[in-house]
Amino acid sequence: MEVQPELASAEVKHLQRCINDLVSLLALPAIWSGGDPSQVLHTLLDALMRMLRLDLVCVRLTDPDGEAPVEIVRLAEPQTQRPMPAAHEICEALSQSLKNDSRKWPPALRNLMGEGDVSIVPLPLGLQGELGVIVAAAERTDFPRQTEVLLLSVAANQASIGLQGARLLSQQRQVANELDQRVTQRTAELATASKELKKELAERRLVEERLGQEERELKYSEVRKAAIVDSALDCIVTIDHEGCITEFNPAAERTFGYHRDEVLGRPLANVIIPLSLREKHRQGFARYLAAGEARVLGKRIEMTAVRADGSEFPVELAITRIPLEGPPSFTGYLRDITERKRAEQELRRSEAFLAEAQHLSRIGSFSWRVATDEITWSEQLYRIFQIDRDAQVTFELIGTRIHPEDLSVFLEHIERSRRDRSDVQLEFRLQMPDDTVKYVHVAAHIRSDHGRLEYFGAVQDVTERRASEEALSKARSELSQVARVTSLGVLTASIAHEVNQPLSGIVTNASTCLRMLAADPPNVEGARETVRRTIRDGNRAADVISRLRALYGKKEPTIESVDLNEATREVLALSLSELQRNRVIVQQELVDDLPLVAGDRVQLQQVILNLLRNASDAMSTIDDRPRDLLIRTEPDDDDRVRLSVSDVGIGFEPQATDKLFEAFYTTKDEGMGIGLSVSRSIIERHHGRLWAMPNSGPGVTFSFSVPCKAESLTSDSAHASRTPSVSDAA
Amino acid sequence: MDALPREAHSYVMELSQERRAVERPLVSVVDDDESVRESLPDLLGELGFAARAFSSAEEFLASDCLDQARCLILDIAMPGMSGPDLQRELKLRGQEIPIIFITASTDKSARPRLLEQGAVECLFKPFSDTALLKAINMAFQPK
Repeated sequence: MEVQPELASAEVKHLQRCINDLVSLLALPAIWSGGDPSQVLHTLLDALMRMLRLDLVCVRLTDPDGEAPVEIVRLAEPQTQRPMPAAHEICEALSQSLKNDSRKWPPALRNLMGEGDVSIVPLPLGLQGELGVIVAAAERTDFPRQTEVLLLSVAANQASIGLQGARLLSQQRQVANELDQRVTQRTAELATASKELKKELAERRLVEERLGQEERELKYSEVRKAAIVDSALDCIVTIDHEGCITEFNPAAERTFGYHRDEVLGRPLANVIIPLSLREKHRQGFARYLAAGEARVLGKRIEMTAVRADGSEFPVELAITRIPLEGPPSFTGYLRDITERKRAEQELRRSEAFLAEAQHLSRIGSFSWRVATDEITWSEQLYRIFQIDRDAQVTFELIGTRIHPEDLSVFLEHIERSRRDRSDVQLEFRLQMPDDTVKYVHVAAHIRSDHGRLEYFGAVQDVTERRASEEALSKARSELSQVARVTSLGVLTASIAHEVNQPLSGIVTNASTCLRMLAADPPNVEGARETVRRTIRDGNRAADVISRLRALYGKKEPTIESVDLNEATREVLALSLSELQRNRVIVQQELVDDLPLVAGDRVQLQQVILNLLRNASDAMSTIDDRPRDLLIRTEPDDDDRVRLSVSDVGIGFEPQATDKLFEAFYTTKDEGMGIGLSVSRSIIERHHGRLWAMPNSGPGVTFSFSVPCKAESLTSDSAHASRTPSVSDAA
Repeated sequence: MDALPREAHSYVMELSQERRAVERPLVSVVDDDESVRESLPDLLGELGFAARAFSSAEEFLASDCLDQARCLILDIAMPGMSGPDLQRELKLRGQEIPIIFITASTDKSARPRLLEQGAVECLFKPFSDTALLKAINMAFQPK
């Protein structure tokens, strides 16, 4: 072939470059190794652009997973200032112009970016273009030369290999990744399994240990059971399915009087059941074995048993079936309840006694737990209150039966008891649904059982007694006046003296009158005059009586040894019902071992009574607070004894203290015993002192103090201090 | 007083008639108690005596009755000079008037001493008309 030298030299250069390019292309896979497909394509496209002076090269990769194809475009540096189309515009244009089948693509296409046509070379990737396609395009007319086609196909091959490698690598990586994941997962699973296994092992060990312990416990329990059975106070007898004794513990031996060896194997019925009940027992046992019926099984029954000596006695019996496989066997627990029976009977009898006694004496008893307000009543108490036996007793319920006027006092007492835990003595009225009124007396004292406070007490229906008491108290007060008078023997004479004067006039006038009327002719005028005088003397006698009442207070006391505490208690006993009627709450503080005083007991009691009545009167209008009255005795200075009565009444002005006594003193005709003046004069005659002090709170405290009984005080010296005899005084 | 014994009645009547024949004897009453001074002279009049009453021993001593009175009914307890005081005084003056003491006191222990001192009787108030008459009769008996 003939070759021109210049041309030849250009041709050589061209070929040399081509070979260089080939070498470069062949070296590309070394660069690609380990890279991903996009890196492969980028380097390839750059290389092609540079080697072949292309105007455009683009690649489209079909995605093996069917997703959107990857498109990469390279454009030559534009010669003119033409705007650069975007890669996807180019690809779009290519797709429109070209069919999917790259083998049918035309060799030349209209220039997409400018005028004229461009030559294009489509290069399928993969053996059948399954990987995608590379399109190389150039405006130059000599494109593609033969060498260039060679280079492009080599590049396409190289790219296919590189892409395959990259894909493979990526797949490998993916597989490796998956593998890794699976290994990790499996490892985790194994770890979990191993942990569970360990746990299971531990549990199993635990179970084994427990089983061992249970076994030990079972052994221990058997030993213990044997000990219990042997030492039990109850008789424990076991029988087999035929009713024969298989066990007979020491308590049973003692109770029934048999030795264990004597009874083992014998039918239970023949040993401990009385002849009269034996048949019944056999029947019951047979019935149970036949039908599993258990009339006595698991229940506590009382029956009669018989001892070896033939004596019968009551027993309590409980039979249980021994829960074991095989023919049924039973354990019977028997207890001699002779004592209990007797105690029960005695209890029943004593309860009957108590109920009868309560019924007869109209006394009901109760208990009250302070903390919980649980109240229990005896039957009689329900009867007294006329409350249904089944009713739950509460203070509210009780309140519905208490007389409205006494309710506040009652509630006050309850609160006081709750607070002070002191003993209770109280009298109040009940009002029944039919409006009848009952008087009841309550006495209760507190007990502490392990710190649990409980009141126990009795309530007595004193309605009848109250009625007779009222009559009695009337008589008593009359009597006490007489008693006071007679206790002053001298005064008796004095009264007689004063009264005998007008009486004498009456008798004389009456005698004269009779004589005047008996005369012939009767002296009617004279008789009328004597009758007039008789009437006048009668009135005079009455005047004398009232004058003497005033005189009474001026007599010297009869001296004796007086225990003021005792005297006070007597007065309280006499006046308690009256005080309670006036809703006065009395508290006593009578000091023990109070020295005796020398004086007239009745007169001193008169003073105490006065002070109580005054205190009660002073509180008669008090409704906004409890009418508390405190009576107290105590030793005073200078061998004296002091008694004081405090009220919470209306009180008085401090400066009125003296007038108080004075005012009363002027009302001499106050009558026997009433009036502070009389009280003061009585106390003064006892060489004592009576005074009043306003309290720091509401009310007043009246006190008197009298000398203790001195050893030297004899009856002579007492007489010496008396006033002259009545005959002289009259 | 209507239960006056029959004998007493006849005795009183007999006595009255006997006295009526002569002059009525004077009985003096000394008592500080007004009702006694009022009622007793009337009764004495009915019994057939003349009577004069004085409220105190001093008044009696100052009167002209001292020599005329055949009998003295005298209260024991009086303010000022008492009955026994007057008895002593009369004795000192040599006046031998029979004295019947009367008293409202119930103290019987005083009676024996008074009788010992020469009193005819000691009556305790209130006394009946028969008891009084009996005592007056005793007073009029010659010793």
